[in-house]
Amino acid sequence: MPTRVLFFGRLKDAAGVGERIVEIVDGERSIDALIKRLAAGDDALAAALAHPSVKVAIDQRVVDRATLIGAAREIAFLPPFSGG
Amino acid sequence: MTSLISIRVIAASFDPEKEIAAFRRAHPQSGAIVSFLGAVRSEDETVSQLTLDSYPGFTEQEIARIAADGTARWRIDGLLVIHRIGALAPGEPIVLAAAAAAHRRDAFCAVDYMMDYLKSEAPFWKRESTAQGDRWIEPRAADYADKKRWAR
Repeated sequence: MPTRVLFFGRLKDAAGVGERIVEIVDGERSIDALIKRLAAGDDALAAALAHPSVKVAIDQRVVDRATLIGAAREIAFLPPFSGG
Repeated sequence: MTSLISIRVIAASFDPEKEIAAFRRAHPQSGAIVSFLGAVRSEDETVSQLTLDSYPGFTEQEIARIAADGTARWRIDGLLVIHRIGALAPGEPIVLAAAAAAHRRDAFCAVDYMMDYLKSEAPFWKRESTAQGDRWIEPRAADYADKKRWAR
């Protein structure tokens, strides 16, 4: 099942796009593995996505970094919020 | 007690006076209406534009969660939050938060609380455009400190 990966705020600039489609396969269900794959050797992007200030949401629910990705439709990388 | 919570995240500019008037009409029984309007600062002339992004669906859901927490703390008849996304010029309204209650303290607290949480807990991302280029704005330490005032 294809999964949409969304980047917001400065992470959108770091990734160069707002959205990517990936296939999450068994053995690569950790968020760390996903980051490694998304960065594809881009160390700056990998560091930006892995930064502790960045929250990860799976299907619009913020999850712990140690969560394994199941049948997710959407995974979002959320840098610190700034509204108002 | 049920209360009416209205949350709108919109890409078009809005008329705060009209919105406040409509909110008052919707709560004729309330003795206290408090509203806060935030506009794009124009004191710093180097900023030509502010651009706000949201995460459609998630942003509304998170504001609703914050609003539900807020309305559970105080006796509120109604709560309104309008938040802009997209490109904004200096002086343009960016956020309107209003609360209707029987008594002023509840209305003041609910609006104050909503604004503190919107600053650092609502999924928005803000970019400032200047002659030198664009930069993303992140919450300041003061914004997090403001939110801590409500911890219990």
